[in-house]
Amino acid sequence: MLATLATLTALAFAQQTDTQIAVRQGIRLEVNNYGGGIVVKAWNQNAVRVHAEHSSRDYVDVNLEPSVLTVKAASRRGPPGVVDYTINAPAWMALNLAGMSTDIEVDGTQGAVTAETVSGEIKCRGGTGYISLKSVEGAVALQDAKGRVEINTVNEGITLTGVSGDITAETVSGDIELEGIESSNVDVNTVSGDVVYEGTIKDAGHYRFSTHNGDVTLAIPEKANATVSVATFNGDFDSSFPVSVTGTTKHRFGFTIGTGSARLDLETFNGDIKLRRPGKLHVKDHDHDEENH
Amino acid sequence: MDEWTDRLSDYVDGELRADQRAEMEAHLSGCTECRDVLEQLRGVVARAATLEDRGPTRDLWSKVAREIKVERAARDVAPRRARRLSFSVPQLLAASIALMLLSASAVWLTVAHRVTGGTSQQTAAGRTPEGGPTTRVAWATDPRYDAAIAELQAALQAGRRNGQLDSATIRIVEHNLAIIDTAIVQARRALAADPGSAYLNHHLADTMRRKMDLLRQATAITGART
Repeated sequence: MLATLATLTALAFAQQTDTQIAVRQGIRLEVNNYGGGIVVKAWNQNAVRVHAEHSSRDYVDVNLEPSVLTVKAASRRGPPGVVDYTINAPAWMALNLAGMSTDIEVDGTQGAVTAETVSGEIKCRGGTGYISLKSVEGAVALQDAKGRVEINTVNEGITLTGVSGDITAETVSGDIELEGIESSNVDVNTVSGDVVYEGTIKDAGHYRFSTHNGDVTLAIPEKANATVSVATFNGDFDSSFPVSVTGTTKHRFGFTIGTGSARLDLETFNGDIKLRRPGKLHVKDHDHDEENH
Repeated sequence: MDEWTDRLSDYVDGELRADQRAEMEAHLSGCTECRDVLEQLRGVVARAATLEDRGPTRDLWSKVAREIKVERAARDVAPRRARRLSFSVPQLLAASIALMLLSASAVWLTVAHRVTGGTSQQTAAGRTPEGGPTTRVAWATDPRYDAAIAELQAALQAGRRNGQLDSATIRIVEHNLAIIDTAIVQARRALAADPGSAYLNHHLADTMRRKMDLLRQATAITGART
């Protein structure tokens, strides 16, 4: 009975806003949403369509300025409530999306993306140029993007798939998984979580993978040229292929692969460091036959 | 509380009439909450007077610029009146958090600069290459780091008391601060046993930076909510 009443009340207060506005090339989209969701889907029109579901107390303000189209909710009484946005935007459009208790999803964009939320997830497919995705309580996933990538969360993991360009990724408690990466500059850091990397090791590139509590697992391409520095305090090193250790101190040692052109820093305080052949990233430890060190 | 807190900034500025002032003081004698707010406001004023004239950090600027724009738009439509510098309590609290952030950031930049000898040694990803043990230990034991952390923690606590961070977010931030603190303790212990280890020095410094970053992030959220 109470559930029915609640549903009826919700239906009575539900309202939809649906509006479309033409935009010229170069304008960016800025969406602020305190609570709810922001879904942006790229399309091939030079127009932005904003569909929003919200309480009848609230209204959605879509404002076109010379260089920015802003979308935000306001209320006739007090702060606005939960708003769920579904927005179609041109694929070229740069996106600035922000919220507090807001899930953010971007699909198919080819522009720059900045997304920040506190208690929400961020999922982004696509993006070119500067891509910055930040959450506190939610997981962050980026797929098929190209540019300078900065990912940050606190309490969840980070997943990057098919990403190219300079990459920085940090979390406190969560795993960081990077697969299908093409980059010459990767900096990955978690405090409590595993780090997994499968991607290019480019000549003269710099790669740093670091965790305090967790394993670091890397798939090293066959023809990689890298000077590798391995550091662990309470952990082991394990490689699927032979390496010749060149310098050893109490907690650190190094070795060279090929010409040693790239620099590779692998660090874990309480965990193992594992090197795997390409495509063998998820093979269990006992399945590989060559072990070293 | 609102009726009184709204008048607290005028009280601090000495702009209440004598009867209003007496009324306020009578209220303050019996209201702990208002006394706390008053103390914070006085802290802000005192702090503002001692701060150096520093440029805003990059991440604050976009927000400041936006606020200026909003304020300018409002001013354009509002009738002109005599200018008087007056802030609401939430604005002052936000200002106090911003001041703490600026101050802590300044300390952080100073310490980081002193250790690395400037930005020339930084990598493209914004980190320094591995330094020698001496510089790292100096960094990790710099008292200004502790001072910056204390300021940021105070800002976070202020945000908590004033309800500017929701309880779930506070729990998560504190949980993750505890994880970082444990990592710092472990790294310090390991370093004490092996003070010459470049890795341990580097790792400790990096973990301490993570704590600073998380506190800055949490206090920035507090400011944004305000």
